[in-house]
Amino acid sequence: MKKERSKKYRLIQILRIISQLLFFSLFFYLLLGTRFPGGDYIGRVEIFFHFDPLLALTTSIASRVFFASFILAAITLVLTFIAGRFFCGWICPLGSIHQFFSFLFKKAKLLKTKIHEDNHTAWKYYLLAVILAGSLFSLNLVGWLDPFSLLYRSFTVSFMPGVSHLISNLIEVFYQVKLSSLGDSLVQFFETLDINATFIQGFIIGVIFIGLVFLNIFRERFWCRYLCPLGAFLGLAARWNILKLKVDPDKCINCGLCSRLCQTQANPYPNENWKSSECDYCFTCSAICPTNAISFPIKSTPEKIKSIDLSRRKIILASLTGIFAVPLFRLSPASYRASEKLIRPPGSLPEKKFLQKCVKCGECMKVCPTNALQPALKEAGPEGIWTPMLVPEIGYCEYYCSLCTQVCPTGAIQELSIEEKNELKIGTAWINKNRCIPWKFGDPCIVCEEHCPVSPKAIQLMKVEVTQLDGTVKTPLAPVIDIKACTGCGICENKCPVMDKPAIYVTSVGESRSEQNQLLLDTISEKNIY
Amino acid sequence: MKRRNFLKNIAVGSLALNIKPNIFAQIPSRPDLAVVTGESPSLITKEAISALGGIKRFISKGDKVLVKPNIGWDRKPEQAACTNPEVVKTVVELCLEAGAKEVKVMDNPCNPARRTYVRSGIAKAAKDAGAKVPFPNEHKLEKIPLNGEKLKEWEVYRDFIETDKLINMPIAKHHSLSRLTLGMKNWLGALGGNRNALHQGLDYAMVDLAAFFKPALTVLDAYRILHRNGPQGGRLSDTKLFKTVVAGVDYVAVDAMGTTFFGIKPEEMRFLQLASERGLGIMNLEKIKIEKRTL
Repeated sequence: MKKERSKKYRLIQILRIISQLLFFSLFFYLLLGTRFPGGDYIGRVEIFFHFDPLLALTTSIASRVFFASFILAAITLVLTFIAGRFFCGWICPLGSIHQFFSFLFKKAKLLKTKIHEDNHTAWKYYLLAVILAGSLFSLNLVGWLDPFSLLYRSFTVSFMPGVSHLISNLIEVFYQVKLSSLGDSLVQFFETLDINATFIQGFIIGVIFIGLVFLNIFRERFWCRYLCPLGAFLGLAARWNILKLKVDPDKCINCGLCSRLCQTQANPYPNENWKSSECDYCFTCSAICPTNAISFPIKSTPEKIKSIDLSRRKIILASLTGIFAVPLFRLSPASYRASEKLIRPPGSLPEKKFLQKCVKCGECMKVCPTNALQPALKEAGPEGIWTPMLVPEIGYCEYYCSLCTQVCPTGAIQELSIEEKNELKIGTAWINKNRCIPWKFGDPCIVCEEHCPVSPKAIQLMKVEVTQLDGTVKTPLAPVIDIKACTGCGICENKCPVMDKPAIYVTSVGESRSEQNQLLLDTISEKNIY
Repeated sequence: MKRRNFLKNIAVGSLALNIKPNIFAQIPSRPDLAVVTGESPSLITKEAISALGGIKRFISKGDKVLVKPNIGWDRKPEQAACTNPEVVKTVVELCLEAGAKEVKVMDNPCNPARRTYVRSGIAKAAKDAGAKVPFPNEHKLEKIPLNGEKLKEWEVYRDFIETDKLINMPIAKHHSLSRLTLGMKNWLGALGGNRNALHQGLDYAMVDLAAFFKPALTVLDAYRILHRNGPQGGRLSDTKLFKTVVAGVDYVAVDAMGTTFFGIKPEEMRFLQLASERGLGIMNLEKIKIEKRTL
């Protein structure tokens, strides 16, 4: 018998790798493009999120509102119905990363390929059941596990800051070896990229991401095989697709190479064991088959094929887990009293709705021009881990900017024009008179007032009497706050020259989005944009 | 203390006496200040500099020039928080016409540089005119001995030191601590570090900085001035069209002239008093030659 590998499938394999490269580049290009565009309005840099049917489904269920942009997810879904999980093998940038590292680990002989007969691939379906059950009870679990959210968040919060520090060190070296002009042009170039380099949780989010990458040492594309809930969702949709693997029994020499090298444990051999819900159409099997026995003929008539073994009991158990997770994730004092530190981006929905919609993707954190938006840890309760909050010690809300409201892929932050944004309050500033230089020491300092961006200023100066230790009295101008004019932008706290703990600080009270978190009766915003 | 002041006065006085006649001997007709009013920001800037004797008096062929406008805030030109872009553009063009090898325009703003450079319109205007408009580069921050009376040393962007000529291009604005921000206050934009701490002795810091940087020329943009809610303003009603540009070598005189636009007498300004006491320039506008023109 003629032993020859298929040239056609080798070519398709190369096309697939090119496609992966292209889509990864596109992802990265959009990530880099998520920054101040030189004008007030940014294009749809978050568009790829809208092709994610899992995000579309779960956020719609959790929030009981369908966000119109998610109509694009129908394209992915329909194509998956027709052609199977090609999305995972050809498009998904996270999948490409895992595959690339699997490839490296194989070359490094850390990852040994063998045939796995286990049923662990079912894990991801149980995970999906947990997420869907949670979303029925308006708990948004998908943000932590959706591949796009996970990738974007990890890149924004850990990878890009890491790269930025690395480059900064490299540039320092250039200056040390007197290559100043090279250093200068690099600095100018990276300044235009606007990479936010300070993230409180950058380390932990980075460690999780690296951990997921290193799981590829145990199994090829570990994440895609066992964990990815989007993969599971597409797997369910892919059952009836028309591209079915066929092993030609006349040519097959029963070597098992196809099943051994299968990236996602779809088991091409024997033919009846092949699982279309697991195949990501990488075409490795058909390309490496020594006798060119494997092909993917188009078949419009569905035939009985082996599907993944999902135990009904486990599905029920997983769903119950998702349901029981709901109260667990909501054990937080936040439901009783708003967290003072939880300053949400302008345009954020009221907290309950916000948590239902936010998928923790980090788009807003990436685009923020002052690095002010940070992933929350305990401020928003367990449910709100990694949702965005403004940390004025790091950055502040820039007056003529509404970029975060424009890039939110789920509408958790409502899109606002700059004029609309500037009518909103996200918090209120307070003065700590025990630390404020004029209030405490009687010395001049008007830095907060000077930086206050509203006109007339929300920080006014008042002549006060300050008694010194020796009994003498100084009469400096000291800052006082007009809480009605204050938008809570936080620039005062950010610029306060009291370096460790600023003498002026912003808390969330008075935020326009909340009916409860208010201070004085007449400051409740009359305009309710929601 | 009195004795020291007395000695200082004598020193300053004799210096002034020594230098003044020499200047007059060389160029007798030159004014100390040019104050030009007119519709076009670009034309009045040109006219002011030519009234001083033309740009070639300040810029020589092959010079590296650094132009320091106020690009402090993410605000549009009509909000008068940053120097008028046309005025900046005109000065850049003049410098290049005079044969400057390189003209750099930069500032260390309070809002992110990427935003202020764009919204102020200055980056585009200056680039169109042929200038380089670099963002402040923290690798170029260096602790520099300023040897001021209060300010001994501070972190300064080396761009402001490694240049042949400095041109200061402030805008005239209200400021709640120093009352006004004009030329001398503008040097805070050359600094890094926790410069906000300087506000505890702002008048002294301004004077020390002005004495250190010594610009070849100061061009004060008062085309549209900010008369309240400074130094950022916000509403258009915070600004007033004044359609004037002041140019001069004596930066104390330029700032003194600027104060009059707000109905304030120079001697009411603490930093002008300090500067004048230290002999950095002349605050008394009656003692200098002012050329006023209207286009």
